[in-house]
Amino acid sequence: MTSSPSRSVSADPPSLADGSLTPDEVPEPAGAPHAEGARTVSAPGPRGRRARRIGVRVLSLLALLALWQLAAAAAGNPSFVPAPRAVWDQLVLLSTTHEGVRGYGGHLLVEHLGISLRRILIGSALGVAAGLVLGVVLGAVPWIRLVAEPVVTFVRALPPLAYFSLLIIWFGIDETPKLWLLAIAALPPVAVATAAAVHGAPTGLVEAARALGASRWDVIKDVVLPAALPEIFTGVRLAVGVAYSSVVAAETVNGVPGIGGMVRDAQRYLQTDVVVLGLLAIGLSGLLIDGLLRAAETRLIPWRGRV
Amino acid sequence: MSSRPDPATAPATADEDVAAVHLHEVEHVYGGAGGPVAALGPISLTVPPGTFLVLVGASGCGKSTLLRLVAGFERPTSGTVRTGGAEPVPGRGAGIVFQQPRLFPWKTVGGNVELALRYAGVPRVERARRVPELLERVGLHDVADRRVWQISGGQQQRVAIARALAGDDPLLLLDEPFAALDALTRERLQEDLRRVSAQTGRTSVFVTHSVEEAVFLGSRVVVLTRRPGRIALDLDVGLPRTGVGPDELRALPEYAALRAEVGHAVRAAAA
Repeated sequence: MTSSPSRSVSADPPSLADGSLTPDEVPEPAGAPHAEGARTVSAPGPRGRRARRIGVRVLSLLALLALWQLAAAAAGNPSFVPAPRAVWDQLVLLSTTHEGVRGYGGHLLVEHLGISLRRILIGSALGVAAGLVLGVVLGAVPWIRLVAEPVVTFVRALPPLAYFSLLIIWFGIDETPKLWLLAIAALPPVAVATAAAVHGAPTGLVEAARALGASRWDVIKDVVLPAALPEIFTGVRLAVGVAYSSVVAAETVNGVPGIGGMVRDAQRYLQTDVVVLGLLAIGLSGLLIDGLLRAAETRLIPWRGRV
Repeated sequence: MSSRPDPATAPATADEDVAAVHLHEVEHVYGGAGGPVAALGPISLTVPPGTFLVLVGASGCGKSTLLRLVAGFERPTSGTVRTGGAEPVPGRGAGIVFQQPRLFPWKTVGGNVELALRYAGVPRVERARRVPELLERVGLHDVADRRVWQISGGQQQRVAIARALAGDDPLLLLDEPFAALDALTRERLQEDLRRVSAQTGRTSVFVTHSVEEAVFLGSRVVVLTRRPGRIALDLDVGLPRTGVGPDELRALPEYAALRAEVGHAVRAAAA
Protein backbone atom coordinates (compact mmCIF):
# COMPACT_ATOMS: atom_id res chain seq x y z
CA MET A 1 0.00 0.00 0.00
CA THR A 2 1.13 3.55 0.58
CA SER A 3 3.94 2.98 2.97
CA SER A 4 6.49 4.35 0.55
CA PRO A 5 5.47 8.03 0.70
CA SER A 6 5.25 7.84 4.48
CA ARG A 7 8.72 6.29 4.66
CA SER A 8 10.25 9.13 2.71
CA VAL A 9 9.08 11.58 5.34
CA SER A 10 10.82 9.85 8.22
CA ALA A 11 14.11 11.48 7.48
CA ASP A 12 15.94 10.51 10.63
CA PRO A 13 17.10 6.90 10.90
CA PRO A 14 18.22 5.88 14.38
CA SER A 15 21.74 7.21 14.77
CA LEU A 16 24.41 4.68 13.96
CA ALA A 17 26.53 5.49 16.95
CA ASP A 18 23.60 4.78 19.22
CA GLY A 19 22.81 1.41 17.70
CA SER A 20 26.32 0.03 17.60
CA LEU A 21 27.05 0.64 21.26
CA THR A 22 26.43 -2.46 23.28
CA PRO A 23 26.02 -1.94 27.00
CA ASP A 24 29.19 -3.88 27.70
CA GLU A 25 31.30 -1.50 25.68
CA VAL A 26 30.09 1.78 27.12
CA PRO A 27 29.71 2.09 30.87
CA GLU A 28 26.77 4.43 31.20
CA PRO A 29 26.39 6.84 34.07
CA ALA A 30 23.37 5.74 36.06
CA GLY A 31 20.17 7.38 34.91
CA ALA A 32 21.68 8.94 31.81
CA PRO A 33 19.72 8.20 28.67
CA HIS A 34 21.51 5.95 26.25
CA ALA A 35 21.82 8.46 23.44
CA GLU A 36 23.41 10.94 25.81
CA GLY A 37 26.14 8.49 26.66
CA ALA A 38 26.80 7.87 22.99
CA ARG A 39 27.09 11.56 22.28
CA THR A 40 29.71 12.28 24.91
CA VAL A 41 31.89 9.47 23.61
CA SER A 42 32.01 10.73 20.04
CA ALA A 43 31.67 14.45 20.77
CA PRO A 44 34.08 16.31 18.46
CA GLY A 45 32.97 14.79 15.12
CA PRO A 46 29.21 15.41 15.28
CA ARG A 47 29.61 18.78 16.97
CA GLY A 48 31.87 20.06 14.19
CA ARG A 49 29.49 18.70 11.58
CA ARG A 50 26.59 20.34 13.35
CA ALA A 51 28.28 23.73 13.40
CA ARG A 52 29.02 23.41 9.69
CA ARG A 53 25.42 22.42 8.98
CA ILE A 54 24.09 25.45 10.84
CA GLY A 55 26.62 27.66 9.03
CA VAL A 56 25.47 26.38 5.64
CA ARG A 57 21.85 27.00 6.56
CA VAL A 58 22.49 30.57 7.72
CA LEU A 59 24.47 31.28 4.55
CA SER A 60 21.76 29.94 2.28
CA LEU A 61 19.18 31.97 4.18
CA LEU A 62 21.24 35.14 3.65
CA ALA A 63 21.64 34.32 -0.02
CA LEU A 64 17.89 33.86 -0.29
CA LEU A 65 17.29 37.26 1.33
CA ALA A 66 19.75 38.87 -1.08
CA LEU A 67 18.01 37.27 -4.03
CA TRP A 68 14.68 38.49 -2.72
CA GLN A 69 16.04 42.02 -2.36
CA LEU A 70 17.36 41.86 -5.93
CA ALA A 71 14.05 40.57 -7.25
CA ALA A 72 12.16 43.34 -5.46
CA ALA A 73 14.50 45.95 -6.91
CA ALA A 74 14.20 44.47 -10.40
CA ALA A 75 10.40 44.35 -10.21
CA GLY A 76 10.31 47.95 -9.05
CA ASN A 77 6.72 47.51 -7.87
CA PRO A 78 6.12 46.79 -4.14
CA SER A 79 2.61 45.50 -4.92
CA PHE A 80 4.18 42.84 -7.11
CA VAL A 81 7.30 41.91 -5.12
CA PRO A 82 7.59 43.65 -1.76
CA ALA A 83 11.10 44.16 -0.40
CA PRO A 84 12.20 42.29 2.74
CA ARG A 85 12.28 45.58 4.57
CA ALA A 86 8.58 46.25 3.80
CA VAL A 87 7.62 42.83 5.11
CA TRP A 88 9.63 43.47 8.25
CA ASP A 89 7.83 46.79 8.75
CA GLN A 90 4.49 45.02 8.42
CA LEU A 91 5.63 42.51 11.05
CA VAL A 92 6.28 45.36 13.47
CA LEU A 93 3.06 47.12 12.50
CA LEU A 94 0.90 44.02 12.83
CA SER A 95 2.37 43.12 16.18
CA THR A 96 1.48 46.45 17.77
CA THR A 97 -1.33 49.01 18.01
CA HIS A 98 -0.71 51.98 15.72
CA GLU A 99 -2.86 55.10 15.64
CA GLY A 100 -5.69 53.26 17.33
CA VAL A 101 -5.53 50.32 14.91
CA ARG A 102 -4.73 47.03 16.53
CA GLY A 103 -2.66 44.72 14.29
CA TYR A 104 -4.58 43.68 11.18
CA GLY A 105 -8.37 43.82 11.20
CA GLY A 106 -8.35 44.37 14.95
CA HIS A 107 -6.15 41.40 15.77
CA LEU A 108 -2.41 41.12 16.26
CA LEU A 109 -0.41 38.81 14.01
CA VAL A 110 0.12 36.31 16.85
CA GLU A 111 -3.61 36.28 17.49
CA HIS A 112 -4.34 35.47 13.85
CA LEU A 113 -1.74 32.75 13.97
CA GLY A 114 -2.92 31.46 17.35
CA ILE A 115 -6.50 31.09 16.19
CA SER A 116 -5.40 29.24 13.07
CA LEU A 117 -3.14 26.97 15.14
CA ARG A 118 -6.06 26.23 17.44
CA ARG A 119 -8.16 25.24 14.44
CA ILE A 120 -5.35 23.07 13.11
CA LEU A 121 -4.88 21.47 16.51
CA ILE A 122 -8.55 20.63 17.07
CA GLY A 123 -9.23 19.68 13.46
CA SER A 124 -6.25 17.42 13.06
CA ALA A 125 -6.75 15.91 16.53
CA LEU A 126 -10.26 14.87 15.47
CA GLY A 127 -9.00 13.64 12.11
CA VAL A 128 -6.12 11.73 13.68
CA ALA A 129 -8.39 10.06 16.25
CA ALA A 130 -10.91 9.01 13.61
CA GLY A 131 -8.15 7.96 11.21
CA LEU A 132 -6.56 5.81 13.88
CA VAL A 133 -9.77 3.91 14.58
CA LEU A 134 -10.58 3.60 10.88
CA GLY A 135 -7.03 2.49 10.12
CA VAL A 136 -7.07 -0.28 12.72
CA VAL A 137 -10.39 -1.55 11.37
CA LEU A 138 -9.17 -1.29 7.77
CA GLY A 139 -5.97 -3.12 8.61
CA ALA A 140 -7.57 -5.85 10.68
CA VAL A 141 -10.80 -6.67 8.81
CA PRO A 142 -10.24 -7.67 5.17
CA TRP A 143 -13.80 -7.17 3.87
CA ILE A 144 -14.06 -3.68 5.36
CA ARG A 145 -10.77 -2.81 3.71
CA LEU A 146 -12.21 -4.05 0.42
CA VAL A 147 -15.22 -1.73 0.74
CA ALA A 148 -13.76 1.33 2.47
CA GLU A 149 -10.30 1.67 0.99
CA PRO A 150 -11.45 3.21 -2.33
CA VAL A 151 -13.55 5.70 -0.35
CA VAL A 152 -10.55 6.82 1.67
CA THR A 153 -8.42 7.13 -1.46
CA PHE A 154 -11.25 9.08 -3.12
CA VAL A 155 -11.45 11.58 -0.27
CA ARG A 156 -7.68 11.88 -0.25
CA ALA A 157 -7.67 12.85 -3.91
CA LEU A 158 -10.17 15.71 -3.36
CA PRO A 159 -8.75 19.19 -2.85
CA PRO A 160 -10.10 20.58 0.47
CA LEU A 161 -11.57 23.64 -1.26
CA ALA A 162 -13.77 21.33 -3.32
CA TYR A 163 -15.65 19.87 -0.40
CA PHE A 164 -15.54 23.07 1.62
CA SER A 165 -18.55 24.37 -0.33
CA LEU A 166 -20.53 21.33 0.76
CA LEU A 167 -19.45 21.78 4.37
CA ILE A 168 -20.61 25.41 4.30
CA ILE A 169 -24.01 24.37 2.98
CA TRP A 170 -24.26 21.82 5.78
CA PHE A 171 -22.68 23.62 8.72
CA GLY A 172 -22.84 27.37 7.99
CA ILE A 173 -19.88 29.74 7.99
CA ASP A 174 -18.64 29.65 11.59
CA GLU A 175 -16.10 27.35 13.25
CA THR A 176 -17.83 24.03 12.54
CA PRO A 177 -17.17 23.74 8.77
CA LYS A 178 -13.54 24.83 9.27
CA LEU A 179 -12.91 22.12 11.85
CA TRP A 180 -14.69 19.57 9.66
CA LEU A 181 -12.53 20.52 6.71
CA LEU A 182 -9.29 20.12 8.67
CA ALA A 183 -10.47 16.86 10.23
CA ILE A 184 -11.42 15.40 6.84
CA ALA A 185 -8.11 16.50 5.38
CA ALA A 186 -6.14 15.00 8.29
CA LEU A 187 -7.96 11.67 8.41
CA PRO A 188 -6.75 9.85 5.26
CA PRO A 189 -2.97 10.01 5.88
CA VAL A 190 -3.40 8.57 9.37
CA ALA A 191 -5.95 5.97 8.25
CA VAL A 192 -3.78 4.78 5.36
CA ALA A 193 -0.56 4.63 7.43
CA THR A 194 -2.29 2.86 10.31
CA ALA A 195 -4.02 0.37 8.02
CA ALA A 196 -0.76 -0.50 6.28
CA ALA A 197 1.09 -0.93 9.57
CA VAL A 198 -1.66 -2.99 11.21
CA HIS A 199 -2.00 -5.15 8.12
CA GLY A 200 1.75 -5.70 8.01
CA ALA A 201 2.08 -6.51 11.73
CA PRO A 202 5.19 -8.64 12.31
CA THR A 203 3.89 -12.22 12.23
CA GLY A 204 6.77 -13.52 14.32
CA LEU A 205 5.89 -11.25 17.23
CA VAL A 206 2.16 -11.92 16.88
CA GLU A 207 2.87 -15.63 16.98
CA ALA A 208 5.13 -15.22 20.01
CA ALA A 209 2.35 -13.37 21.86
CA ARG A 210 -0.19 -16.04 20.96
CA ALA A 211 2.24 -18.71 22.17
CA LEU A 212 2.32 -16.91 25.53
CA GLY A 213 -1.45 -17.06 25.80
CA ALA A 214 -2.37 -13.56 24.61
CA SER A 215 -6.02 -13.03 23.72
CA ARG A 216 -7.05 -11.46 20.41
CA TRP A 217 -7.38 -8.08 22.09
CA ASP A 218 -4.05 -8.54 23.89
CA VAL A 219 -2.37 -9.13 20.53
CA ILE A 220 -3.80 -5.90 19.09
CA LYS A 221 -3.04 -3.85 22.20
CA ASP A 222 0.38 -5.26 23.08
CA VAL A 223 1.85 -6.17 19.69
CA VAL A 224 0.04 -4.80 16.65
CA LEU A 225 -0.41 -1.22 17.86
CA PRO A 226 3.07 -0.73 19.36
CA ALA A 227 4.59 -2.26 16.23
CA ALA A 228 2.49 0.12 14.11
CA LEU A 229 3.25 3.20 16.19
CA PRO A 230 6.29 4.42 14.18
CA GLU A 231 4.27 4.37 10.95
CA ILE A 232 1.24 5.85 12.66
CA PHE A 233 3.40 8.69 13.89
CA THR A 234 4.62 9.34 10.37
CA GLY A 235 0.97 9.40 9.33
CA VAL A 236 0.24 11.94 12.05
CA ARG A 237 3.03 14.18 10.83
CA LEU A 238 1.67 13.98 7.31
CA ALA A 239 -1.83 14.69 8.61
CA VAL A 240 -0.75 17.78 10.51
CA GLY A 241 1.05 18.91 7.36
CA VAL A 242 -2.09 18.46 5.29
CA ALA A 243 -4.18 20.28 7.92
CA TYR A 244 -1.63 23.08 7.79
CA SER A 245 -1.87 23.46 4.07
CA SER A 246 -5.67 23.30 4.26
CA VAL A 247 -6.07 26.02 6.86
CA VAL A 248 -5.88 28.77 4.26
CA ALA A 249 -8.65 27.04 2.33
CA ALA A 250 -10.70 26.68 5.52
CA GLU A 251 -10.36 30.40 6.20
CA THR A 252 -11.39 31.63 2.76
CA VAL A 253 -14.90 32.15 4.11
CA ASN A 254 -15.35 34.23 7.27
CA GLY A 255 -11.75 33.53 8.15
CA VAL A 256 -10.82 36.64 10.15
CA PRO A 257 -9.37 36.31 12.74
CA GLY A 258 -7.11 33.65 11.31
CA ILE A 259 -3.84 33.74 9.42
CA GLY A 260 -5.47 32.39 6.24
CA GLY A 261 -8.26 34.93 6.45
CA MET A 262 -5.67 37.66 6.96
CA VAL A 263 -3.76 36.61 3.84
CA ARG A 264 -6.96 36.52 1.84
CA ASP A 265 -8.08 39.97 2.97
CA ALA A 266 -4.63 41.40 2.28
CA GLN A 267 -4.76 39.94 -1.22
CA ARG A 268 -8.07 41.74 -1.85
CA TYR A 269 -6.51 45.07 -0.92
CA LEU A 270 -3.26 44.27 -2.74
CA GLN A 271 -1.24 44.45 0.50
CA THR A 272 1.36 42.11 -0.87
CA ASP A 273 3.74 42.64 2.05
CA VAL A 274 1.05 41.36 4.44
CA VAL A 275 0.45 38.38 2.17
CA VAL A 276 4.14 37.50 2.22
CA LEU A 277 4.28 38.03 5.97
CA GLY A 278 1.32 35.67 6.44
CA LEU A 279 2.98 33.02 4.27
CA LEU A 280 6.18 33.29 6.27
CA ALA A 281 4.24 32.98 9.54
CA ILE A 282 2.44 29.85 8.31
CA GLY A 283 5.59 28.23 6.95
CA LEU A 284 7.77 28.95 9.97
CA SER A 285 5.21 27.80 12.50
CA GLY A 286 4.75 24.66 10.39
CA LEU A 287 8.47 23.96 10.56
CA LEU A 288 8.40 24.46 14.31
CA ILE A 289 5.47 22.11 14.83
CA ASP A 290 6.99 19.39 12.66
CA GLY A 291 10.18 19.72 14.68
CA LEU A 292 8.21 19.31 17.91
CA LEU A 293 6.45 16.24 16.52
CA ARG A 294 9.77 14.72 15.50
CA ALA A 295 11.24 15.34 18.92
CA ALA A 296 8.18 13.73 20.49
CA GLU A 297 8.58 10.80 18.14
CA THR A 298 12.16 9.96 19.17
CA ARG A 299 11.08 10.32 22.78
CA LEU A 300 7.95 8.22 22.62
CA ILE A 301 9.11 5.55 20.18
CA PRO A 302 12.69 4.61 21.01
CA TRP A 303 12.20 1.26 19.26
CA ARG A 304 11.65 2.85 15.84
CA GLY A 305 13.57 0.84 13.26
CA ARG A 306 14.13 -2.06 15.62
CA VAL A 307 11.03 -4.15 15.00
CA MET B 1 10.23 -22.73 41.89
CA SER B 2 7.72 -25.51 41.52
CA SER B 3 8.71 -28.87 42.86
CA ARG B 4 8.50 -31.39 40.09
CA PRO B 5 9.56 -35.02 40.20
CA ASP B 6 13.15 -35.63 39.29
CA PRO B 7 13.10 -36.73 35.65
CA ALA B 8 15.28 -39.67 36.55
CA THR B 9 12.55 -41.07 38.79
CA ALA B 10 9.64 -40.06 36.54
CA PRO B 11 7.74 -42.97 35.04
CA ALA B 12 9.56 -44.24 32.01
CA THR B 13 6.44 -45.57 30.37
CA ALA B 14 3.07 -43.89 30.22
CA ASP B 15 -0.06 -44.67 28.31
CA GLU B 16 -1.45 -42.34 25.67
CA ASP B 17 -3.82 -40.48 27.98
CA VAL B 18 -1.13 -39.07 30.23
CA ALA B 19 1.46 -38.70 27.48
CA ALA B 20 2.79 -35.16 27.29
CA VAL B 21 2.74 -35.37 23.51
CA HIS B 22 1.02 -37.96 21.40
CA LEU B 23 1.01 -38.13 17.62
CA HIS B 24 -1.04 -40.68 15.77
CA GLU B 25 -0.55 -41.26 12.03
CA VAL B 26 0.11 -37.56 11.51
CA GLU B 27 0.61 -36.29 7.98
CA HIS B 28 0.99 -32.72 6.86
CA VAL B 29 0.78 -31.36 3.34
CA TYR B 30 1.39 -27.73 2.39
CA GLY B 31 -0.63 -26.39 -0.51
CA GLY B 32 1.41 -23.98 -2.58
CA ALA B 33 1.64 -22.37 -5.99
CA GLY B 34 3.80 -25.22 -7.19
CA GLY B 35 1.26 -27.84 -6.10
CA PRO B 36 0.93 -29.62 -2.77
CA VAL B 37 4.12 -30.49 -0.88
CA ALA B 38 4.09 -33.39 1.56
CA ALA B 39 6.08 -32.06 4.50
CA LEU B 40 5.62 -34.70 7.11
CA GLY B 41 4.61 -38.23 7.92
CA PRO B 42 2.89 -40.46 8.40
CA ILE B 43 4.42 -40.29 11.83
CA SER B 44 3.37 -41.71 15.21
CA LEU B 45 5.09 -40.76 18.43
CA THR B 46 4.35 -40.92 22.15
CA VAL B 47 6.35 -38.73 24.51
CA PRO B 48 6.03 -39.54 28.24
CA PRO B 49 6.16 -36.66 30.74
CA GLY B 50 9.64 -35.58 31.76
CA THR B 51 11.23 -36.56 28.47
CA PHE B 52 13.67 -34.20 26.78
CA LEU B 53 12.99 -35.16 23.19
CA VAL B 54 15.27 -33.88 20.46
CA LEU B 55 14.17 -34.04 16.83
CA VAL B 56 17.14 -34.10 14.45
CA GLY B 57 17.18 -33.93 10.71
CA ALA B 58 18.52 -32.05 7.72
CA SER B 59 16.88 -28.75 6.75
CA GLY B 60 13.48 -29.14 5.18
CA CYS B 61 12.74 -32.53 6.74
CA GLY B 62 9.57 -31.28 8.38
CA LYS B 63 10.88 -31.05 11.93
CA SER B 64 9.76 -27.46 12.37
CA THR B 65 6.40 -28.40 10.88
CA LEU B 66 6.10 -31.11 13.51
CA LEU B 67 6.81 -28.56 16.23
CA ARG B 68 4.24 -26.13 14.83
CA LEU B 69 1.66 -28.93 14.88
CA VAL B 70 2.48 -29.72 18.52
CA ALA B 71 2.28 -26.01 19.35
CA GLY B 72 -1.17 -25.81 17.78
CA PHE B 73 -0.21 -23.17 15.20
CA GLU B 74 -1.27 -25.59 12.50
CA ARG B 75 -3.63 -28.55 12.18
CA PRO B 76 -2.37 -31.76 10.61
CA THR B 77 -3.75 -32.68 7.19
CA SER B 78 -4.59 -36.07 8.64
CA GLY B 79 -4.03 -37.92 11.90
CA THR B 80 -4.29 -36.59 15.44
CA VAL B 81 -2.02 -34.50 17.65
CA ARG B 82 -2.59 -34.42 21.43
CA THR B 83 -0.73 -32.56 24.13
CA GLY B 84 -1.67 -33.45 27.70
CA GLY B 85 -4.55 -35.46 26.25
CA ALA B 86 -6.15 -32.55 24.40
CA GLU B 87 -5.91 -30.86 21.02
CA PRO B 88 -3.10 -28.28 21.21
CA VAL B 89 -4.01 -24.58 21.28
CA PRO B 90 -1.30 -21.88 21.13
CA GLY B 91 -0.76 -20.29 24.51
CA ARG B 92 -2.25 -23.17 26.46
CA GLY B 93 0.01 -25.73 28.06
CA ALA B 94 3.21 -25.11 26.12
CA GLY B 95 5.96 -22.50 26.25
CA ILE B 96 7.69 -21.91 22.93
CA VAL B 97 11.18 -20.67 22.07
CA PHE B 98 11.72 -19.74 18.44
CA GLN B 99 14.88 -19.56 16.37
CA GLN B 100 14.82 -15.76 16.69
CA PRO B 101 14.23 -14.34 20.18
CA ARG B 102 11.06 -12.53 19.05
CA LEU B 103 11.13 -10.19 22.03
CA PHE B 104 8.94 -7.09 22.04
CA PRO B 105 11.21 -4.08 21.49
CA TRP B 106 8.72 -1.66 23.07
CA LYS B 107 9.13 -3.47 26.39
CA THR B 108 12.23 -3.63 28.55
CA VAL B 109 13.82 -7.02 29.16
CA GLY B 110 11.93 -7.34 32.44
CA GLY B 111 8.79 -6.06 30.74
CA ASN B 112 8.92 -8.90 28.25
CA VAL B 113 9.00 -11.49 31.02
CA GLU B 114 6.36 -9.59 32.95
CA LEU B 115 4.04 -9.65 29.96
CA ALA B 116 4.38 -13.43 29.72
CA LEU B 117 3.47 -13.73 33.39
CA ARG B 118 0.47 -11.47 32.86
CA TYR B 119 -0.77 -13.61 29.99
CA ALA B 120 -0.30 -16.63 32.24
CA GLY B 121 -2.69 -15.01 34.72
CA VAL B 122 -0.13 -14.28 37.43
CA PRO B 123 -1.31 -11.42 39.72
CA ARG B 124 0.61 -8.15 39.59
CA VAL B 125 2.26 -8.38 43.00
CA GLU B 126 3.60 -11.82 42.31
CA ARG B 127 4.81 -10.79 38.84
CA ALA B 128 7.19 -8.21 40.32
CA ARG B 129 8.73 -10.94 42.45
CA ARG B 130 8.94 -13.57 39.73
CA VAL B 131 10.52 -11.49 36.93
CA PRO B 132 14.01 -11.33 38.52
CA GLU B 133 13.63 -14.93 39.63
CA LEU B 134 12.97 -16.13 36.07
CA LEU B 135 15.82 -14.04 34.67
CA GLU B 136 18.19 -15.47 37.27
CA ARG B 137 17.12 -18.96 36.36
CA VAL B 138 18.41 -18.45 32.80
CA GLY B 139 21.60 -16.84 34.08
CA LEU B 140 20.76 -13.13 33.65
CA HIS B 141 21.42 -10.49 36.29
CA ASP B 142 20.78 -6.74 36.28
CA VAL B 143 19.35 -6.61 32.78
CA ALA B 144 15.66 -6.21 33.66
CA ASP B 145 15.67 -2.47 32.93
CA ARG B 146 17.67 -2.71 29.72
CA ARG B 147 16.16 -2.24 26.31
CA VAL B 148 15.98 -5.42 24.27
CA TRP B 149 18.45 -4.14 21.66
CA GLN B 150 20.96 -3.23 24.34
CA ILE B 151 21.71 -6.85 25.22
CA SER B 152 23.52 -9.44 23.11
CA GLY B 153 21.87 -12.05 20.91
CA GLY B 154 22.70 -14.79 23.39
CA GLN B 155 21.18 -12.78 26.23
CA GLN B 156 18.09 -12.11 24.12
CA GLN B 157 17.62 -15.82 23.58
CA ARG B 158 17.99 -16.37 27.34
CA VAL B 159 15.20 -13.86 27.89
CA ALA B 160 13.10 -15.76 25.34
CA ILE B 161 13.65 -18.94 27.34
CA ALA B 162 12.76 -17.18 30.60
CA ARG B 163 9.61 -15.93 28.92
CA ALA B 164 8.70 -19.41 27.75
CA LEU B 165 9.23 -20.76 31.26
CA ALA B 166 7.05 -18.03 32.80
CA GLY B 167 3.75 -19.81 32.24
CA ASP B 168 4.88 -22.90 34.16
CA ASP B 169 3.47 -24.94 31.32
CA PRO B 170 4.08 -28.70 31.43
CA LEU B 171 5.57 -28.57 27.94
CA LEU B 172 8.46 -26.60 26.46
CA LEU B 173 8.91 -26.43 22.69
CA LEU B 174 12.16 -25.15 21.18
CA ASP B 175 12.65 -24.61 17.46
CA GLU B 176 16.41 -24.44 16.74
CA PRO B 177 16.78 -21.79 19.44
CA PHE B 178 20.57 -21.63 19.29
CA ALA B 179 21.06 -21.90 15.52
CA ALA B 180 21.66 -18.17 15.05
CA LEU B 181 24.23 -17.85 17.84
CA ASP B 182 28.01 -18.09 17.71
CA ALA B 183 29.59 -21.41 18.75
CA LEU B 184 30.79 -20.31 22.18
CA THR B 185 27.49 -18.71 23.19
CA ARG B 186 25.64 -21.70 21.80
CA GLU B 187 27.63 -24.11 23.96
CA ARG B 188 27.01 -22.07 27.10
CA LEU B 189 23.29 -21.86 26.41
CA GLN B 190 23.14 -25.60 25.77
CA GLU B 191 24.77 -26.26 29.12
CA ASP B 192 22.44 -23.88 30.89
CA LEU B 193 19.37 -25.30 29.19
CA ARG B 194 20.41 -28.81 30.20
CA ARG B 195 20.73 -27.62 33.81
CA VAL B 196 17.42 -25.72 33.78
CA SER B 197 15.67 -28.68 32.20
CA ALA B 198 17.06 -31.05 34.84
CA GLN B 199 15.89 -28.63 37.54
CA THR B 200 12.37 -28.16 36.25
CA GLY B 201 11.94 -31.65 34.84
CA ARG B 202 9.37 -30.45 32.36
CA THR B 203 8.75 -32.24 29.08
CA SER B 204 10.63 -30.62 26.22
CA VAL B 205 10.64 -31.02 22.47
CA PHE B 206 13.76 -29.53 20.91
CA VAL B 207 14.29 -29.26 17.17
CA THR B 208 17.81 -29.05 15.74
CA HIS B 209 19.95 -30.05 12.79
CA SER B 210 23.02 -30.45 15.00
CA VAL B 211 23.92 -34.01 16.02
CA GLU B 212 26.18 -32.72 18.78
CA GLU B 213 23.37 -30.64 20.26
CA ALA B 214 20.91 -33.54 20.04
CA VAL B 215 23.11 -35.99 21.93
CA PHE B 216 24.14 -33.41 24.51
CA LEU B 217 20.61 -32.24 25.33
CA GLY B 218 18.28 -35.14 24.66
CA SER B 219 17.07 -37.86 26.95
CA ARG B 220 15.58 -39.24 23.75
CA VAL B 221 16.66 -38.52 20.20
CA VAL B 222 14.44 -38.97 17.13
CA VAL B 223 16.04 -38.71 13.70
CA LEU B 224 13.74 -37.71 10.86
CA THR B 225 14.13 -38.71 7.21
CA ARG B 226 14.08 -36.07 4.52
CA ARG B 227 10.75 -34.76 3.27
CA PRO B 228 8.15 -36.00 3.97
CA GLY B 229 9.72 -36.50 7.40
CA ARG B 230 9.36 -39.89 9.01
CA ILE B 231 11.10 -41.51 11.95
CA ALA B 232 14.45 -42.96 10.87
CA LEU B 233 15.81 -43.61 14.35
CA ASP B 234 14.26 -43.42 17.82
CA LEU B 235 16.83 -43.67 20.53
CA ASP B 236 16.73 -43.44 24.34
CA VAL B 237 19.83 -41.69 25.57
CA GLY B 238 21.16 -43.39 28.67
CA LEU B 239 23.49 -40.58 29.67
CA PRO B 240 23.18 -39.18 33.22
CA ARG B 241 20.96 -36.03 33.40
CA THR B 242 22.38 -34.64 36.64
CA GLY B 243 25.58 -34.71 38.61
CA VAL B 244 27.90 -34.69 35.62
CA GLY B 245 29.60 -31.59 34.27
CA PRO B 246 29.34 -30.80 30.57
CA ASP B 247 32.98 -31.57 29.85
CA GLU B 248 32.86 -34.85 31.76
CA LEU B 249 29.72 -35.74 29.83
CA ARG B 250 31.31 -35.03 26.46
CA ALA B 251 34.31 -37.14 27.50
CA LEU B 252 32.24 -40.25 28.22
CA PRO B 253 32.81 -43.13 25.77
CA GLU B 254 29.02 -43.66 25.59
CA TYR B 255 28.68 -40.05 24.47
CA ALA B 256 31.03 -40.55 21.54
CA ALA B 257 29.29 -43.78 20.57
CA LEU B 258 25.86 -42.11 20.64
CA ARG B 259 27.11 -39.17 18.62
CA ALA B 260 28.49 -41.56 15.99
CA GLU B 261 25.23 -43.52 15.85
CA VAL B 262 23.00 -40.45 15.54
CA GLY B 263 25.37 -38.83 13.07
CA HIS B 264 25.31 -41.92 10.90
CA ALA B 265 21.51 -42.05 11.03
CA VAL B 266 21.18 -38.36 10.10
CA ARG B 267 23.49 -38.75 7.11
CA ALA B 268 21.73 -41.93 5.97
CA ALA B 269 18.30 -40.27 6.36
CA ALA B 270 19.31 -37.20 4.38
CA ALA B 271 20.78 -39.21 1.51
